[in-house]
Amino acid sequence: MFSRPSSSLIRGTAQGRYVCQACLRDVRTRRQLVANAQSLRLQSRALQTTTATEEVTPYRKQLKDEAKRQKLEGGSKPAKKKSKAKDSRLEKWELTVGIEIHAELNTARKLFSSAATASSDAPNSHVALFDVAFPGSQPHFQRETLLPALRAAIALNCTVQPKSSFDRKHYFYQDQPNGYQITQYYEPFAKDGHITLFDHDGIAPEDGKSITIGIKQIQMEQDTAKTIQAPPSTHLLDFNRVSHPLIEIITLPHIHHPSTAAACVRKIQTILKTIDAVTAGMELGGLRADVNVSVRERHNTTGTGPENSYYGVTGLGQRTEIKNLSSFKAVEDAIVAERDRQIDVLEGGGIIEGETRGWTLGSKETRKLRGKEGEIDYRYMPDPDLGPVIIGEDLVQALRNTLPKLPDDIASKLVSSAEYGLTMKDAKTMVALDDGERLDYYLDVVQLLHKDLEDDKALQGSVGRVAGNWVLHDLGGLFTTSEEVWSDMKVTSQSLASIISQLLRRHITGRTAKLLLATIFHGDQRTVRQIIEEENMTLRPMSREDYLAAANTLLSDNPDVVQAIKEKGQHGKIMFLVGQMVRRSEEGTMEAKTAESILKELLDIPNGE
Amino acid sequence: MSLLREAERFLASAARQKHLNAFISLPDISALLRQVQDAEDTGDKDSLNGKLIAIKDNICTSDLPTTAASGILKSFTSPYDATVVQQLRAAGGVIAGKTNMDEFGMGSHSTRSIFGEVCQETRSDRRVSAGGSSGGSAVAVARHNCWAALGTDTGGSVRLPAAYTGTIGFKPSYGLISRWGVIAYANSLDTVGIFARGAHDAQTVFNALNVHDPRDPTSLPPSTRSRIASVLAKRPLEWPPSKPSPPPGLVGPMPPLRIGVPIEYNIAELQPEVRAAWMQTLRILADNGHSIHQVSLPTTRHALSAYYVLAPAEASSNLAKYDGVRYGSRAPGSDASPETKSVLFAKTRGEGFGDEVKRRILLGAYTLSADAIDNYFIKAQKVRRLVQQDFDRVFALPNPLLDDQPANGENKKVDLLICPTAPTLPPTLKSLEGQSPVDAYINDVFTVPASLAGLPAVSFPVECVVDGVAIKVGIQAIGQYGDDHLVLNVASHCGILQS
Repeated sequence: MFSRPSSSLIRGTAQGRYVCQACLRDVRTRRQLVANAQSLRLQSRALQTTTATEEVTPYRKQLKDEAKRQKLEGGSKPAKKKSKAKDSRLEKWELTVGIEIHAELNTARKLFSSAATASSDAPNSHVALFDVAFPGSQPHFQRETLLPALRAAIALNCTVQPKSSFDRKHYFYQDQPNGYQITQYYEPFAKDGHITLFDHDGIAPEDGKSITIGIKQIQMEQDTAKTIQAPPSTHLLDFNRVSHPLIEIITLPHIHHPSTAAACVRKIQTILKTIDAVTAGMELGGLRADVNVSVRERHNTTGTGPENSYYGVTGLGQRTEIKNLSSFKAVEDAIVAERDRQIDVLEGGGIIEGETRGWTLGSKETRKLRGKEGEIDYRYMPDPDLGPVIIGEDLVQALRNTLPKLPDDIASKLVSSAEYGLTMKDAKTMVALDDGERLDYYLDVVQLLHKDLEDDKALQGSVGRVAGNWVLHDLGGLFTTSEEVWSDMKVTSQSLASIISQLLRRHITGRTAKLLLATIFHGDQRTVRQIIEEENMTLRPMSREDYLAAANTLLSDNPDVVQAIKEKGQHGKIMFLVGQMVRRSEEGTMEAKTAESILKELLDIPNGE
Repeated sequence: MSLLREAERFLASAARQKHLNAFISLPDISALLRQVQDAEDTGDKDSLNGKLIAIKDNICTSDLPTTAASGILKSFTSPYDATVVQQLRAAGGVIAGKTNMDEFGMGSHSTRSIFGEVCQETRSDRRVSAGGSSGGSAVAVARHNCWAALGTDTGGSVRLPAAYTGTIGFKPSYGLISRWGVIAYANSLDTVGIFARGAHDAQTVFNALNVHDPRDPTSLPPSTRSRIASVLAKRPLEWPPSKPSPPPGLVGPMPPLRIGVPIEYNIAELQPEVRAAWMQTLRILADNGHSIHQVSLPTTRHALSAYYVLAPAEASSNLAKYDGVRYGSRAPGSDASPETKSVLFAKTRGEGFGDEVKRRILLGAYTLSADAIDNYFIKAQKVRRLVQQDFDRVFALPNPLLDDQPANGENKKVDLLICPTAPTLPPTLKSLEGQSPVDAYINDVFTVPASLAGLPAVSFPVECVVDGVAIKVGIQAIGQYGDDHLVLNVASHCGILQS
């Protein structure tokens, strides 16, 4: 599902993550507002006016339009076809990317006031004097906000600085009450970290099995207010979000492939969620990314043209920055588009200007927001009201010791341990879903099954893998189809364990098990055993003869398929036949496995293939 | 005299001197008198009970507007009281009104106010400068419109007007008095200061305000305060001036002090009357058992330039919040229009700020800009550190904020510095008209060093006779960080010795 972030995004949109409908509504509105505010911001910041009224496309509509466009262009990976032609250019030009990720910290209070961080409450209901920059008010640093920030720094292998400080970054905008943002420019609280991405994280094949990306620094800073458009010319401001603590994670330009960049953002998000450092992921506006993109000739030994360097990485081409990317897909697509644009310019004999560019979801090109001449001089100044932040090594050590297990560690345990035996792909998905709730549920089911099947060691071996399939695909599919939010109450772990146990013990067929799951999913309050009993679902095994008869009828009805299997060796089509065969049979009588082996027997295909 | 009688007299003289333009807003008179009457009825003899205290208009009050004398806040009323206002009220003080000033504290003559200039009159009816930026508070105290007043001192804004008006103007050590609710000009320098007609009254007000405030992140925490106390306690002075002095009239047993005279302050531009008053002060002190020592503060000549880099830099940042969006004045019509290519808030800020404020915002924006910061802001910070080290070298008392404290009581070191507050007597308002902004900045040359180092300093009036006319000249006592009571006691001491 991660390969198509937009679909997970839509699903996240539809489901939300909250039980309370009112909250869900808030979240929807909020995300919408965030999206609106961002597109608005891009527009009006470029112009430096307040009057720019852009027609704002609702977020969901944007997503739908994007999907439509892609469909028209044929398939979900339109870049693929093109890329063939461009491969030769990529042999000549190397892409370099650095990422800045802004993440909303999961804290009770704002960074510089004791106001609550409840952004989704009634507008302007959590605003302290300093949050709206009243004359004479002063910042009051909330030390507790350091905790999630420090967990992030530790999880990203950074060195926590014993002393850091806050600086003011100046620019005028209505969502910035003080006329400056308090951030950490001169002395950030964490430096010199790194993150390792593996092939299963979705990095580019060219990056091999793994790639380690340096993290230059992590800094704490304030969020801005929310701008809500009230057309035609009114902008409403909600200051609940002002001064919500953020961290900005700045990677080194160690990335050379768009998919690796997306994988990096995705993995950082997963880590931040696991350690409970952030409020929400990208799909809810809890995370935003800016990317710095440059290209250089791979074999340029003449050393012509000015070379750029960044924090020890030298020989780089002129970079541009693409701001405010709000999905993994946007990160990847924007980089592809910007890389291709830069190569076009350079091959056409032009030069790349250091500029800030924007990216609209679903578009094919980045667009210029402001050039060098329009660059803002932020006039960074140490904040004279705020003293240094002194962090003791004991605190860092205590947080390190209590840090939740990271996704990588959990996933590899799910793969390597005989108790679970998941594929890496399933393990990664399990860890990433529903803020860890899916994983908890899965672990419950596995534990119940191991207990239930204590008497049968042979069956126990497959429990982890089978339970994984049911939790992710069968149960997961039901949630997806009904567009509902994940909940472990819909089908309790006891019910699912009971269904799987019955199946493994061959008391019911696979088809019956699925039917049972759906029945319970849709509200049947009876226990699994009750339903099986009352609905006569117990397996009534068919004889070998019955199987053979059914198989023969099926094969004679499908000569094309038989031919394809026998002559063209399309053995994958067997499963189609198995499905057909089970479907034709009477409910609760035929087992798919037996059907498969009978079919293979008749088709002269050795079992076990 | 009863408190009520005293208050009525203050109000009467305030009404008579309305033309001096010392106040921007005044409370309802009957409500004010009722408060005084209540205070009288409680019979509380405590320090500030029933006393009328004027507040500079950049200190927030919830019952009167707080404008900072700026167009951009001209009808702004704060939703809360500044900590100092709460403290004064809690001690029984009655707010006498909000005083006029230079816009946001930027100025040396209190002429740069959207509400018009403050002035004082000489006997010959000349209109002269009240000093700035807290000129309104100074005039209100000098002309008996109140018992005491609060001002703010960033580079001399309390001491200079005190010198020009012949009052006591006290700037405490940075961090002792809360700035919560004080409109920031340059946070790292801003200090609430006190005007009174006698040093003892200033001390009384100071004692009510000298408390840690958790709402001000730069307010000294109790731990640092006790550290200062322990440093002061080690001083080998017979009569510890770290305690308030005895009431006026009772000449306390002042121990012999080592008085430093910084040679760099004896500049060519010093007006003869000012030099005469300085000499007279030193003579009186010497005659009364104190020893006078020449000291050198070599960075002094760079201090003014450093100040006029740092203060505008912080000001440009602090004043960025005034955009007319959440409070304050807003220019009519669309604030930014593509037709006029005007940028966000430009119209509101352009109309709301006065010329001097705009000048300093521009100065500050420049010195913080990427190309200039190294040459200006960073250099000025280094100068600031050197200024502080200059002071630490001459004071016998070690700086209690520093870890590596040298052994104190060295022979060559001094207990405090005595120097003029301003190089000249108050100029006439007319003479200011042709002045360049830089001419006005020169007035701060003697007050800025103590501000940069965060030191306690008090300006007190010294009377001297020039050409047969008695005039009051402001003389300044500067002490080591935390030595606030010493400088106040010396001001009190000098007052007593003169009379």
